[in-house]
Formats: sequence, structure tokens, C-alpha cells
Amino acid sequence: MPEIIIRNLKKVFGDLVAIDSLDLTVKDGEYLTILGPTGAGKTTLLRLIAGLEKQTSGSIHIDGKCVDELPPEDRMVTFLSQTYSLFPHMNAWQNTIFGPIARGWDSEKVDIIGREMLEMVHLYDRKDALPHELSGGMQQRNALARALCADARILLLDEPLRALDARLRLDLRHELKKLVKDMGMTAIHVTHDQEEALTISDRIIMLRDGKIIQSGTPQEMFNKPASPFIHHFIGEANFMEGTLTGKTGTGSRLTGESGRTYDIAATNLEVGAKAVAGIKTEFTIMEKEAKDGVNDFPGTVERKLFLGRFTDFEIALDNGHVVHARLPSSIAHKFDEGDKINVHFDPERLLVFPVPEKGLKAELEMM
Amino acid sequence: MSLAKRIESVLSRKGTVKAWYGIVILFFLVMVIIPTLFVLSYAITDWNNIQSDIFTTPPEPTPQLIILESGNTKLAFHTYDIIDITIYNQLGVVIDSPGTVRLNYTVFENTDDSVKTYFSKGDELPSGNYNIPILANSTHNEINHVGTVTQNVTMRDASGNYLDSWEGPLYLRAGSARPMDLIWDAMKVSFVIATIVTIIDFIAGLPMAWLMVRKNFRGKKYLDTLIDMPLAIPTAALGFSTALFWAVTPKIPGAGLGLTSSPFILIILLHIVFSYPYMVRSLAAILHEIDINYEVAAQTLGAPPLTVARTITLPLFRAGLVTGIILCFSRSLSETGGTVAALAMLTPWLSDMAYPMQTGPTLIGAWKHAGGFEPQLAFTAMLLVLISLALLVVVKIVIMKFKLPLRKVMPGPERLLSKGAVPKLKDALAMIFMVLVLLIPSFFIFSFVFTGEPAPVDWGTFWLSMGFSFLVAGVITLLNILFGVPLAILIVRGKNKMLSNILDVLVNMPLIVPTAALGVSLGMFWNSMSIEMALFLVISAHLAFTFPLVVRNVAGALEELDPTYEETARTLGAKPMFVFKKIMYPSIKFSILAGAIMAFTRSLGETGATLAVVKDANTVPVYIVGLVKVGSYYPAALACIVLIAITFITMMVMRYITRKAER
Repeated sequence: MPEIIIRNLKKVFGDLVAIDSLDLTVKDGEYLTILGPTGAGKTTLLRLIAGLEKQTSGSIHIDGKCVDELPPEDRMVTFLSQTYSLFPHMNAWQNTIFGPIARGWDSEKVDIIGREMLEMVHLYDRKDALPHELSGGMQQRNALARALCADARILLLDEPLRALDARLRLDLRHELKKLVKDMGMTAIHVTHDQEEALTISDRIIMLRDGKIIQSGTPQEMFNKPASPFIHHFIGEANFMEGTLTGKTGTGSRLTGESGRTYDIAATNLEVGAKAVAGIKTEFTIMEKEAKDGVNDFPGTVERKLFLGRFTDFEIALDNGHVVHARLPSSIAHKFDEGDKINVHFDPERLLVFPVPEKGLKAELEMM
Repeated sequence: MSLAKRIESVLSRKGTVKAWYGIVILFFLVMVIIPTLFVLSYAITDWNNIQSDIFTTPPEPTPQLIILESGNTKLAFHTYDIIDITIYNQLGVVIDSPGTVRLNYTVFENTDDSVKTYFSKGDELPSGNYNIPILANSTHNEINHVGTVTQNVTMRDASGNYLDSWEGPLYLRAGSARPMDLIWDAMKVSFVIATIVTIIDFIAGLPMAWLMVRKNFRGKKYLDTLIDMPLAIPTAALGFSTALFWAVTPKIPGAGLGLTSSPFILIILLHIVFSYPYMVRSLAAILHEIDINYEVAAQTLGAPPLTVARTITLPLFRAGLVTGIILCFSRSLSETGGTVAALAMLTPWLSDMAYPMQTGPTLIGAWKHAGGFEPQLAFTAMLLVLISLALLVVVKIVIMKFKLPLRKVMPGPERLLSKGAVPKLKDALAMIFMVLVLLIPSFFIFSFVFTGEPAPVDWGTFWLSMGFSFLVAGVITLLNILFGVPLAILIVRGKNKMLSNILDVLVNMPLIVPTAALGVSLGMFWNSMSIEMALFLVISAHLAFTFPLVVRNVAGALEELDPTYEETARTLGAKPMFVFKKIMYPSIKFSILAGAIMAFTRSLGETGATLAVVKDANTVPVYIVGLVKVGSYYPAALACIVLIAITFITMMVMRYITRKAER
């Protein structure tokens, strides 16, 4: 069972702590995504698992065996960088049988397994093609066939889709997951693209400053972020700061500095505690007619930014707060710059967090 | 498991890899770096010798005034290393141009077992100062050599007529020159020449680099090849050919244009020939890197081409300029063979000591050839090493800090200079410069052979020296590959960044240190271990100055190679040796080849290091320089042409192979 168990892993480069006391278990056959901003330690974690870097302390077990002292070639994991590191001077066939040749298997066995793998990914008729002669999808299939041929059951993918153009990236990420699942492999996929992580993963771990700050299914990560940072990183969010001043029927109430109050989701925080509430821009509702209910605020559309499928609105509320709302572009024509509107926040969607240690602004910074 | 796999597995073991890197570093330090810098230790261990032989002013020489008209007089001097002979009139005024003194005397050194002649009877001696060293002799170590001058002087006036008489007597004074003065003069000459050469290279090279990168025209491909031509010719042959073309050559008058008898101008013309390609290549390389969009943007913003070049492109240029300056300067500072050949051709007599001028490297060559002079050699080499290393640092700092006057823009004049005939004139001048200063002088030797008076050639000696040269070049090329490739890998891929950076800096050192100084240093190092075998010494000297070539080439290629390919290969189950064989080697093999061929041709053409490490090594360039010295121009030219042909074929093969690889 190729299960990966990481215990108390630490990696220090000079003064920089890249991976900080990290514990992680990756289940057999799981498609795990490591998500995080630049410099979070994502690639370092992959390289440690592959054996390309040596950890400062802690241990890694693969398949029940401690691999800390094993060189990369004996760990039975395959590390693939952008565009899958297909060797540019070798054709599809030579790439595929690289692992068996490197391990010195006898040539008959190599021929059989190479053919079997290439046929499985429907590339046998292109076996003489060099990587640059293959399409993006074919390259991906070639790389996976090569990994399987090398007897690897664990794939470490370092931003594999990054170098592709946008359209192809969307197509290939689904094919990638399907192939990995069909072949029964375990995959750890590093990305900084939250949308990619949400669509492809069985489970996401969110890495920041070398620590796992949340782990869960895509739905959990999206709906129940553990911190304002994650709330903002996975889909943008608007935030309000204030003090918890009471409980409502199903939730709580937050009062901002200027005295405005918001009904927000339920929380374990005590009344009187400082708190931050955040709502994703998709769930920030814009309405034409003025209202005076709970969580209704009048405001003016300051800026309208067309983003393709969505349109982003920057709205100055009359109470001085500036918020963003995101609408599907198909209905965005209803609002224009200068329009007086009503903004409504659904209390259920206004998630509550304790005030971050370094303050909200520092928390939301990407680095 | 097959045998090959088993070997691979043993070689891939962590211990084996570490041990191999250890050996490579050790080899690099012991064979290259320590010998290169060993001469510096002389300052500590033998300062007394330097003090006494160089800095201490010898006792005032007894000027021996000989009235030259008074019949045969023997001039005996018991004195120091160098005799300074000045010819002057009764008022003490040195006889100067335009008068020429023809000395009907012979100066020779009379030692126990041999008589060595410096000036032969009938030699024409232009007026001025002459340095004649009295040689130390192994069997006769006292400073008790006797030089004899038999006189009888005739004199010519400005128009070249011999005079029957002259007013008043002439005097010949013999006294000793201080070695320090000689060293100081040679250093000055070396640096002034290197500076002038570099400046001319830049001025003439910039338009050419621009032409090569930014313009498209028919025949560009051929121009590209032509620029590199001088690099295919060993400098000894270049010196010979260039001097033949430009200079007044007293031994065989009328061989070329006969335009100059100034050693200074001739050496500058020569050094431009072999340094110019380096400048053009360095500037073109960086120009190629600079995004043309900046220039387009500036031009669309209204700047005329000259303003764009001055304010946008040139400031981005500095890295290339640093490389170009360092390469040209150090090549000029280092060159020995061609300089010796050219100087010998200006000199009417057969001596190799009494050149009209000495550069640092030729002075080393002369002293080494004479034998003895260890403190002088060490001190000169030391100065050359230190100054060239300091130069590297200074040039980098100065160029990077230097600010061009960018703010001031003169739209009127600059627009005018960007239009019409001016740019065309600039391009035309660049081309004329290249043809007249580089190409014709380089290949003049061919016309000399076809039109010159044939003379018998001692082919036996020639092929013997050819064999020796090939043996040396072959051995050093193999050693370069064997140790240079792992060192390059260690520098680029090493886990210990500190070690990599130190090795990276060290590996450039032999490129900058003048090869003659390197030879002196290296000779001292091995002599201190009582190793004096000529073949070994020549090989280790050539290894030291060629070592950076393979390392630099391979390191450059490795930096281009994405390390993730190697890492992916490892995770697919490949051992380090297998990764090298299948992933790394296919990508760097042409760089290894390029470096190897550069090392091979540099070794074939090198004179300075060879002469400085062993007194009488027998390589082809040394053989050629020897022929030039004694005035055997026809055999020398033939030998040059054979050597050029072989070097040229080697370079063409390299071009062919690398071009094929690019496709």
C-alpha cells in the first residue's frame, strides 16, 4: 500500500524555515493538492518526499518503510515538473522505458512492459515522436506511462499545468485526474491556482510559511475556511472587523467601529470578543431597490470591471466601507457605475474568525 | 545484473562520487591553482634574493671611456646582469636620430666553454640604449664574464651617406642597468600597449558587433567566419605575418610594406589582430541578449538612432564590455610568441636579447632563456600575476559604477549624425579596418611564401617539434575532459554553494594571469619538488592555462540545462552515473567538444608559457620563433602555413559538428 506518512518534518535553508514541524498522511490512491502562495514551501515538501532534498529533522515513511536514508532512485516515487520533464532528446518510446533501462531490467521484459504502457495511454503509434512533436495531452499521457513503467505508484507533480495555455489547462486537468485514478496511482499535486485545486482534488492541504493551516475536501475548504487568509485565497472575500455584541436566533451579531452592526454566522467566540467576519464576493448580493432590513446597506457602484464570465463591482457603502461583489456577466448589465443600490449580506455566509495575531491586513498578504 | 550496471552502481555510490569529486578538486588545486600562484610565495621565502638582485642599486659602474678612433681597444667589463651601452659624443650628448652609427665591432661573451656572440661585425646599430645581459654560466658562476668590444666605428649622416670623419671622438660607455629599471620599463610598455589595444578594439569593434547583430545583409555569414579567422592562427605565426606586412625588416628588406620600424606601433598592430575578435564576440553576445524592443520603443518615442544607441543600448551593455575589456587586456598582456617574433624581425642582429623594446612576457622569455635570473623572473611574474588579478577586480568595479552622461541629449547633432552618409561611413570604416588591420596582415605570410625566395627547410626538426606539440596538446585535452567536466558539474550542480562559488572564481584565474608568468610560477613550483622533466613541465603548464576553457564551456551549457530533468530521472530509478550518461551528457557533449578543441588549439599555438617553464622546449611555435630570430623567414613561413592549416582544419571540423548539432 503506497501510503505516505510524514512525521514532524522540518527543513531549514540557512535562516529560512521552509517546512516547519509538518505532519501529513496521504492515503493510498488519493489525489492530494498542496495549495498555497509563492514561498509557502510547497515545492520543498515535494522535493523532500522525492528525496531530492534532505530534511533537517523528522521522518518520511512510504509504504510502511522509512525512506529517510534512501536516494531518490530507490523511493518508488516520480517527480514531474512543469510540462512533465519529458527528456527532450528522447522519443516517446525511449522516455517510457527510461526507468526499466535505468534499473537494468532485461530487454525482453522492457519491451513488453513499455509496449503495454504506451498502448494503455494510446500512444504506441506515436512511439517515435519527440516530446515537442506531441500535443500537450499526449505529453501528459507519455509522462504518466513513463512513471508507471518505472514501477512508481506515487506521482509528485510540481505545477504540471503551469506552462500550458489557459484553454488547454482546463482540458488537461480533468484528463490528468482521470488517468491517475484509472492507473490506481497516488498523486500529490502542487499548485498556487485555487480553481485548479478545487476542481481536481480529493483533498486539499493549504500550506503557509511551511505549516499546514487547513486540510479538507474542496467543499470544506471553500465553505468552511479555517482563517480569513484561506477565506480570501480560495475565492475573494470582503471583511468586516468589530466586536461580538450578541446572539441572534441562529447566529451572532458583530458591531463595527463606527457602530454599524452585522448579523453573522454562528460562532464559539464569547460575546465581547474582537472578531473578523468575511463573506465571499460571489455571495455579496446587489439589489436595485433600497431596503432597510438586517444586513442591508445602501451604497454606490464606484467601478465595474469586466472579467469575462464574471464582472467585479466595487461598491462604496454609505457608511464608508468599500466592498466588492461578483456577478455572472450575463446579468451584470443591470448595474452601472454611479448606480445607487442596496447591498445585502446573507448572515449564514458571513463567516466569523477570531482577530488574527498580526492583524487582518498582515493576515491577508500573500507573502 | 549485468557488468555495466554493476560498474554503474559502484560508481554511483555516494562514497565513490564524493571520492571522485575530492580527487578532482585536489587535481585542480595541485595542478592548476597552486602552481599558478606559487610564485607569490617567493616573495616570502626568498625576499632576500629579490632585495639584493633587484632593489639594491649596484655600485656605480665604472664608465669605461674608450675613444673609438684609437685603434683596437678591448673593453672588458666585470659587472652585473645587464650592460648598458650608450654611445655618445664628447659633450656627453647621446647620439640620436637621424644619425646612425655603424659599429664594426663584435660583442661577445667569452666563457670557459663557449663564445656567445651578441653583435656581429657589420651590424647596423641604431643609436640609443642597448641592453646586453652577461649570462651566468653553470660552470662559471662568478660574475666574472668578460665581454670584448673591438672597435672601429663608421658613421652615417641623416641622408645615409657614410662619413669619413667626424668632429671629435665618440665614446662607448659600459655600465650596468638595474634590473628594476628593466622590469619597470617592460611593465609600462605592456600596460600602455594593452590599454591602447583595448581602446582601439572597442572603438573598432563596437560598430562591427552592431553590424553583426542588428543588421541583415548578404554575406553576413562569411563576415562572421572572417572575424574569427585570426583566432585560428597561432600567435607566433600572426606576429611573424603581421611584422612581415607592416615593418621595416632589416634581415630581409622589402618583404612587405616596410611602413614602420617602431616596435611600439608594430606590437600594437599585432595585438589588435588577435584581441579584436574577442571584443567583437563579447559585445555581439551581449547585444544579442538585449531586447530590441527597448530600442524600438525609444525610437517610436522620437529618439534618433544614435541617441537610442547611446542612452538605451550602451548602458545595458556593461556586462559585455567588462568581458570584452578583460579578455582583450589579458590577451595583450599575456602574449609572448608573436611579440617575440615581431620584435626579432625589427632587430638587425641575431641576438634574442637586444630587442629594441621588451614587454613583461618577452623579458621573462629572455631571462629564462639566458638561465639563472631566478629572482628577476620571480619578481616579474609576481607583478604580472598581481596586477592582472587586480585588473579583473578594478575593471569590474569601474565599469559597473561608471555613469554615462545620459541626461544630456543633443537632438540636433545626434539626428544629423544618424542620417545619410554618416552611418554608412561608420559601417564602411569598420569593414576597412577589419580587412586592412586584421585580415591582410594575418594572411600576408602566404603571399610571402608564394613570392619569396625558397630556402631549404629542415623538415626533420619541424615534424619532431610537431610531434611534441601534438603529444602535449593531446594529453592536456584528455586531462581537461577527465577533470574539467566533473569540476564544471561541481560548480553548477554542487550542493555546497560556498565551495561552488570559490571554485568558480578560482577557475577563471589562469585565464587572466599572463601565460609567461604562469609558466615561471609553475616551473618554480615543480622545481621546488625536484621535478624537472621537460615534457611533464610543458604539459602541466599547458594544462594550467587551458583548464578554464573546458570548465567554462561545460559550466555554461549546464547552467542552461534544467536540473529537473536530472531530478526526474533520479526519481524514475536512475543512479547518478546513469543520469550523467543519458541525460546530462547528450546535452553537454558539444560544449565538451568545443572546450576540448579550444584547449587543443590554444596549446598548439602557445609560446609564452612553454618558454617560461622550460628553457629549450621543442614545440612548433617555439621552433617558428627560433627560425624568425635567426632570419630564416622562408622555412618559418612554411612551418607557419602547415601549423595554420592543421589548426584551421581542426576548427572547421568543430564548426561543422556544432552546426550539425544545432539543427
